[in-house]
Amino acid sequence: MSKVRAKEYQLRIDHALATPKLQDALHKFGDAFLLAREKAFSQYDFEALRQEIAASKDEVAAHRQQYLEQFIANAEAAGATVYLAKTAADANSYIAELAKSRGVKLAAKSKSMASEETHLNHALESAGVEALETDLGEWIIQLAGQRPSHMVMPAIHMFKEEVAELFSKVTGIQEPAEIAHLVQVAREQLRQGYLDADMGITGANIAVAETGGIALITNEGNARLVSTLPKIHVALLGVEKIVPTLEDAATIIRTLPKNATGQLLTSYVTWIRGAVPCGDGEKELHLVLLDNGRSALAESPQCRDALRCIKCGPCANVCPVYQTVGGHVFGHVYIGAIGIILTAFFHGLDNAAEIVRACIGCRACVTVCPSNIDLENIILSLRETIGHEEGIGVGKSIVFRKVMRNRKLFHSLIRAASLLQKPVTGGHRTIRHLPLFFSSLTEWRTLPAIAEKSLRDQWQKIPQKLEKPRYKVALFGGCANDFLYPELGIDLIKVMNKLNVEVSYPLEQNCCGVPALYSGDKETAIALAEQNIAAMLKDDPDFVITTCPTCTMALQRDFVEFLKDNPVWAAKAEHLAEITVDAAGFIVNQLGAAEVFKGISAAEKVTYHDSCHLKRGAGVWKEPRELLTTSGRELVEMDHADRCCGFGGSYSLTSHPDISKQILGDKIKDIEKSGATCVAMDCPGCMLQLRGGLEKQGVEVRAMHTVQLLAESLE
Amino acid sequence: MQEERLVTVFSEAARAVGAKVESVSGVEGVVDYVKQLATGPVMVPHFASSERLKLAAAIKKAGVVLVQDDLRQGAAIAAVGVTGANFAFAATGTVVLESTAEDIRLATTLPEHHVVLLDPAKILVDDLAAVPHLRTFHQNSSRNYLAYITGPSRTADIERVLTIGVHGPKELHILLFSGLSDDPLEM
Ligand code: SF4
Ligand code: SF4
Repeated sequence: MSKVRAKEYQLRIDHALATPKLQDALHKFGDAFLLAREKAFSQYDFEALRQEIAASKDEVAAHRQQYLEQFIANAEAAGATVYLAKTAADANSYIAELAKSRGVKLAAKSKSMASEETHLNHALESAGVEALETDLGEWIIQLAGQRPSHMVMPAIHMFKEEVAELFSKVTGIQEPAEIAHLVQVAREQLRQGYLDADMGITGANIAVAETGGIALITNEGNARLVSTLPKIHVALLGVEKIVPTLEDAATIIRTLPKNATGQLLTSYVTWIRGAVPCGDGEKELHLVLLDNGRSALAESPQCRDALRCIKCGPCANVCPVYQTVGGHVFGHVYIGAIGIILTAFFHGLDNAAEIVRACIGCRACVTVCPSNIDLENIILSLRETIGHEEGIGVGKSIVFRKVMRNRKLFHSLIRAASLLQKPVTGGHRTIRHLPLFFSSLTEWRTLPAIAEKSLRDQWQKIPQKLEKPRYKVALFGGCANDFLYPELGIDLIKVMNKLNVEVSYPLEQNCCGVPALYSGDKETAIALAEQNIAAMLKDDPDFVITTCPTCTMALQRDFVEFLKDNPVWAAKAEHLAEITVDAAGFIVNQLGAAEVFKGISAAEKVTYHDSCHLKRGAGVWKEPRELLTTSGRELVEMDHADRCCGFGGSYSLTSHPDISKQILGDKIKDIEKSGATCVAMDCPGCMLQLRGGLEKQGVEVRAMHTVQLLAESLE
Repeated sequence: MQEERLVTVFSEAARAVGAKVESVSGVEGVVDYVKQLATGPVMVPHFASSERLKLAAAIKKAGVVLVQDDLRQGAAIAAVGVTGANFAFAATGTVVLESTAEDIRLATTLPEHHVVLLDPAKILVDDLAAVPHLRTFHQNSSRNYLAYITGPSRTADIERVLTIGVHGPKELHILLFSGLSDDPLEM
């Protein structure tokens, strides 16, 4: 791991965190965007659209060569010159050479992320060609000498006062910081550029194999000017923009604006095929198809879905990390969730190494992606790749490989709290990587002590007197339930017994493996998966119940994925996945027994925090609410109920505590604003984070697991 | 009945994104409308329905200066560009212009006002209904430049505040003109 790189990265984080105005703007943007987006899609079936887009992109991915050839043949038949650029440098030198050979002095550009990707402007300038960005946002950042901080709104990080300063330098007079005025200044200043330019450079949103044409989806009208006035038109686009038919293009066009800006449609959609008339002759049209890592991406089974991306941007808008630090930290050229992935393939692993760890794994991005890309999963697999390439750190490595895979050692270390205060292996300070070692970083969050008696040490003594239990279930506790909150396990037994369900606690269960996986050590995660499958299936329970949704996802999804090609384990993993269910979902859906708790509670005002993995992973969010309201509590929804609390395991402890703290701060504000006296949730990780934060800030709101609240009312 | 409904949906959607939608009758109606916008020269490129109406001559006769030669420089100083539309779709208030001829593009990108004549009979339901026509355009000629236009030029690039009229027309005027043309392949 590069120390210099890590240090520079930390400086960028510090800088971003010290800019509350930006955070505030990005938070408001995220809220406003979601409302506009919802309205735009109100008459449309987003799920159906995203399936269609994914299918058409996958079709092209499966027959890349065929569609590429079809597109090129049709484009050439229409008089375009097509150049296939293997690398960014190839694309740049083709365009720069073309400009030189045609005597181009000024190239007017409309917005193109591909040209940002290749750093085309530098290449043109080195060739003595002035590149003029005409998209308002791009022009602003060109004047500022920066890079975009958002794919759709490149200058979203800047404020009107800064823009006025930049424009004043151009015009030579002090321009007032009024937005309408500044837009007018841009209109006047850039107008002559279109007329003077000898070359127009655009990107493209879509390339249609059926026609050999491209489509541009824009609002300002500059792309129309850039593609009309200069004699030469160069369109630089990634090869992944190719779709088979006009119908496929139409689906993207009906989806992209709604998902990007909440518009039903942008002001302009421009379809260009071939060399159209220009002045007295015809346009010289060059289509530069950029590979630059896209073929490698297509070859990666874990990551290739990222090629479906239509660059609409909201995976950043809704991301709590993006909202906290912005695109200059959480991105390279491409930003946000998709930016992490594209950076790894287009700009190299080194440029992605830090940001790949900055994702907290909340899956908010996945829900808004119109191309149905499981961004979080891909990011996770990249983390593993980087873990392989760079190592995950000696400390972590020892903990995961030597300690956690050895359950007895791991658990005895936790028990022996005294040992935990000292280095355990080879003199390295490995302890801080243990998922349960929380002694540092308490200045913004109090942390629970490791329980004197873990759940595994107590459960056998808990009497369960059920004559004819309806079901026998095994509890998968997970580390937090076992060692931090054993009382939660005891409450679960109480609740289950009330429902005539008997609970066992298989002692050979180990950590679910997610901490290792999130740190890039998949091997340990797989070893733990095998241990856990064996432990949980040993007594053939009817169901395996979980109290932690991160564990739930490991048992329901990850184990199956890890072991699907392993003949010994695949079927067992499937079986475990089938019978694993979270406690609230089990009570409501499997038992249909919410009514058992009817009216047993006092009318306390409760607000509910959705855990990322429960809502967006397991799809459970109605069930706990139903239990709470049925029990007689008054449910008051907080704003952003399903926004991440900022925990993310080691994310909040070692990798990005400062970002975690900010995200927690947002959540606490929302909880306070709800007016509830209790915040319920179904995740011990969230509970740790929220309890710690509420306590530290002296906010008198209880943070409780739904199971605890049910048990409390039974007393 | 269906057409009336489509006109209503179209007009509402177009107005929602800042376009002006008016009904006009006869060439005089168009001339009057254009004249009151014409604070400078007016550009009327060639398109079938305007040729039939002899629109350019009528506008000129009303005392308005037309852009005639050097279309590029002329369009850059024109106050108004007047074009037809091949067809439109209601769901988003969009007009579709087959803009392969360069004068159509100049008249719709450079002047501050873009006036579009649209026969309400050519309003389709939505973007999907437009695709067969798109395909026909592509089959009929090997090169083309087609434009969906939905409201005036806009940006939200400074502090995400929606601002109208950045590089393209600041105003889009859609004049509903019955009996103009019912052929979606002609403008
Ligand atoms: S999973 Fe969450 S934190 Fe990670 S990129 Fe997506 S939205 Fe951001
Ligand atoms: S990853 Fe999905 S949401 Fe993000 S820009 Fe690409 S298509 Fe849009």
